[in-house]
Amino acid sequence: MTGAPEHGIPEPGAPEPGAPEPGASEPGAPEIRGIPLAAALAAWTAAAPAAERACDLPVPELLRRFHPDHRPGGMVTLQAGPSAGAACPAELAVLLLSDSLLDDIDIAGAPIRDADVLVLGGGGAGCVAALTAARAGARVLLATKLRMGDGNTVMAEGGIQAAIGAEDSLQRHFEDTLRAGHFAADRALVAALVGDGPDCIRWLIREGMGFDLGDDRQRMGGTLLRKMPGGATAARLLSYRDFTGLEMMRALREAVLLTPGITVLDRHPALELLTDDRGRCGGAVLQDLGQGRLVLVRAGATLLATGGAGRLHLAGFPTSNHYGATADGLVLAHRAGARLREMDSFQFHPTGIAWPPHLEGALVSEAARAAGARLVNGRGERFVAELAPRDVVAAAMLRELAEGRGVRHDGGTGLFLDTPSLEREQPGILGKRLLTLSHLAHRAGFDPAREPFLVRPTLHYQNGGVVIDPAGRTTLPGLLAAGEVTGGLHGRNRMMGNALLELVAFGRRAGAAAAADARAERPRNLGLNHLAGWRRGLLAAGIGLGRKGPMLFPPYGHVTAEGLLGHAA
Amino acid sequence: MRVLTDPARRTGADLAAWLAQGGGEGLGRALADPAGIVPLLEQAGLRGLGGAGFPTHRKWAAVAAQPGPERWVLCNGNEDEPGTFKDRFLLAETPHQVIEGALIAALAVGASRLVLYVNPREAEAVATCRAALAAWQAHPLVAAVAAATGQALALRVVESSGLYIGGEESGAVASVEGGFPFPRLKPPFPAEQGVHGAPTLVNNVETLAHVPHILRHGAGWYRGLGLGEAVGTKLYSLSGDVLRPGLHELPMGTSLRELVFAHGGGMLAERPFKAVFTGGPSNTLLTAADLDVALDFDSLRARGSRLGTGAMIVVGEGTSILRKTAEYVSFFANNSCGQCPPCKIGTHQVARILERLDTGAGRPGDLAALANLSHMLPGSGRCGLVDGAATVLASSLATFRAEYEAALPRE
Repeated sequence: MTGAPEHGIPEPGAPEPGAPEPGASEPGAPEIRGIPLAAALAAWTAAAPAAERACDLPVPELLRRFHPDHRPGGMVTLQAGPSAGAACPAELAVLLLSDSLLDDIDIAGAPIRDADVLVLGGGGAGCVAALTAARAGARVLLATKLRMGDGNTVMAEGGIQAAIGAEDSLQRHFEDTLRAGHFAADRALVAALVGDGPDCIRWLIREGMGFDLGDDRQRMGGTLLRKMPGGATAARLLSYRDFTGLEMMRALREAVLLTPGITVLDRHPALELLTDDRGRCGGAVLQDLGQGRLVLVRAGATLLATGGAGRLHLAGFPTSNHYGATADGLVLAHRAGARLREMDSFQFHPTGIAWPPHLEGALVSEAARAAGARLVNGRGERFVAELAPRDVVAAAMLRELAEGRGVRHDGGTGLFLDTPSLEREQPGILGKRLLTLSHLAHRAGFDPAREPFLVRPTLHYQNGGVVIDPAGRTTLPGLLAAGEVTGGLHGRNRMMGNALLELVAFGRRAGAAAAADARAERPRNLGLNHLAGWRRGLLAAGIGLGRKGPMLFPPYGHVTAEGLLGHAA
Repeated sequence: MRVLTDPARRTGADLAAWLAQGGGEGLGRALADPAGIVPLLEQAGLRGLGGAGFPTHRKWAAVAAQPGPERWVLCNGNEDEPGTFKDRFLLAETPHQVIEGALIAALAVGASRLVLYVNPREAEAVATCRAALAAWQAHPLVAAVAAATGQALALRVVESSGLYIGGEESGAVASVEGGFPFPRLKPPFPAEQGVHGAPTLVNNVETLAHVPHILRHGAGWYRGLGLGEAVGTKLYSLSGDVLRPGLHELPMGTSLRELVFAHGGGMLAERPFKAVFTGGPSNTLLTAADLDVALDFDSLRARGSRLGTGAMIVVGEGTSILRKTAEYVSFFANNSCGQCPPCKIGTHQVARILERLDTGAGRPGDLAALANLSHMLPGSGRCGLVDGAATVLASSLATFRAEYEAALPRE
């Protein structure tokens, strides 16, 4: 890298020793367009506070041209399965149309465990569902691929939405959510979500979760602090500093461990769902990673809470997701016969780290923008209203990068997130409220009060997923789902703060429905009964059985789509 | 050559459409020479296609020879075995060839009551049969049959209990009488003492469906349909690890290889062929060594197995024989009527041990216990249910013992 002192970002006004940077001029490498870092920093210093440039494109046009969901050739049509005909990213379609890792004979003689409710996934939704089901009297088995709590929930920083303000209403929350999702969401689900909102917050407080209070008091009691989430018409984002998800998971994890009736199986990924001879789901095949053997779980109701698909690095984007987000739940549910929806819609978070490379994709919380931090391009201009819905902000950022107004540095490009101006306007905010952000800057080796972050959009959330009804039941009898793995709540774009609310609201709904379903019907004649029909479908569609899924563990390091598909084979 | 499943015959309950494409012709010929029906079936070599393969003409002659005014014809459509799905197709799609066959039977044996005995789990079949039978009721051909036998002919659809055991012929008789379908000790056979003590002809749906075509085209035509010594066509219910499962009407005596690899599209995902559960699934398994066996009553009996209902459940590498056997034996255990203690307790005990092995809780003595039970159980019940369970157990244990041993917990 050129002109970089030990922390990598030159002082404003330092001499720029001749662009272009090394990566840009290598033969064969794609041309990286953008304004060199030093020049951009100079422009930013000169322009502070940044002037705003009005967006000259209407929003639909902006999304169509620059949002990764609309990239040409990015989507393929699913050729087989219950959602045949739906569009889906090519990387995901390979997994959705993969053959099982198991044959019938592999599970002969495998030890079997019984449970009323089997919860797959140990993130927020899984824990909430397990708690609810266990308190309704069900024997719950919670199986997770990594460890309980090791999921995306702990990375949620911004907060959780709930319409609790005096000027706010459920109706406004409902309308904001629908509008942000471009009216593609299922209204019944959204109504259930916003209606449960206030009670979910009460529930979380009873579980022992902390929230920021309005007058910034540290003692017990007070009014909850409300912030304005992106795309909303009222302040309804509740938070705990900027690690709300971590605080929520702390409370949930403790509650799960202290609740009798929940057995937790860490390091037990699900390889396949079990179905009976009428196609009803009745449990799952787990792999006991510790002992290297298969375990069958027979359950009256099976609840998927396996999260999203960020680690597939769709369209080559870096991701903010954790190591386990490999779409396993989607693959299993689709193979067993549950329908999916909006699988062609993913959320790209505007502010993922663009530099340094070892933190690429890691998330700078939206709390920073909610608190007032601005996005600035290489010319020192603001180019978008920072609190517009995420897809609009991300598309506007990608447009700046594509049209050469980004900041070029160290072989990559990004845009500034103006934390120094924020600190100047609200002294002390970085140290008190935006702790995770400061910690991240420390890991990157610079001082956020003096230098801006270099950010670019990162693959963040799966908007679509398994079709559910308001009770959390999928279209496959015996299978329920909650959390990011489900679709229909967010339409084609999720509002900030609705993910945490979703996992609590639908975790509770699905957990209660699972406990009731488990009482109603016990599975019989379980096996891998759906696989023969699935394989026939794949062969009839000419897809073959070469690919096996689910992926379970993604490869480490910088991943290209080609390398990833090779791994999936 | 498709006879029963010819697309032209799929008229549903529409009697006019059936008559328009040659239906009624067989019954007309039968009316012209009622005494010639049984000899014609003997020449044709028609056998009971519900599984037993008993020569049809002998049954008909036996019922016809019984004294007394009242005789019954019972068309058995209770079909409930795993892997069999032929009768529901015939009853729902082409009921008229079955009813015409039953009317010819009523004419031949001099019956005054004709019952279509249908499994109520096939709601479509029940509705279609009721409509089809109502259409015949008013037709002059039925009046002609009554005139020929000299007594009125009552046509009726009876819903069975839906229980597997109700498909056994004495169970079917008990069910039509209004009771629980307990099978009875034989003799006396239903041909001697059936419904309410009256001589009763019990025939499978598929058997009766062939009758009008034999009357119409002659015995020589029917014999010519089969391959080798076998006669006629057979509906094979193909399922399991094949690419194209489904109902295949093929000449009786088609080889297993041709059924699986030509008509079934080959093995699913090109896995090696492992075995076939035939019939009930209550017979000796066919393995790769039997691929060239002709699928007819006599060839399979010569191999120590049986054709049964024509159900062929194909198993490829990757599918567990132990799992399948456990499924089928627990089917038999769940469907044992409980009259005969060895069957009631024995099938349950076998199912329990197989389930235990399959779910990793097997014990060292389990294989010896299974072998012991497979010797003790056959012949201990009034009907063949327990024999079927014992046969499929003994056969899979003998042929695939390694799979059973692999499922035992390792020390």
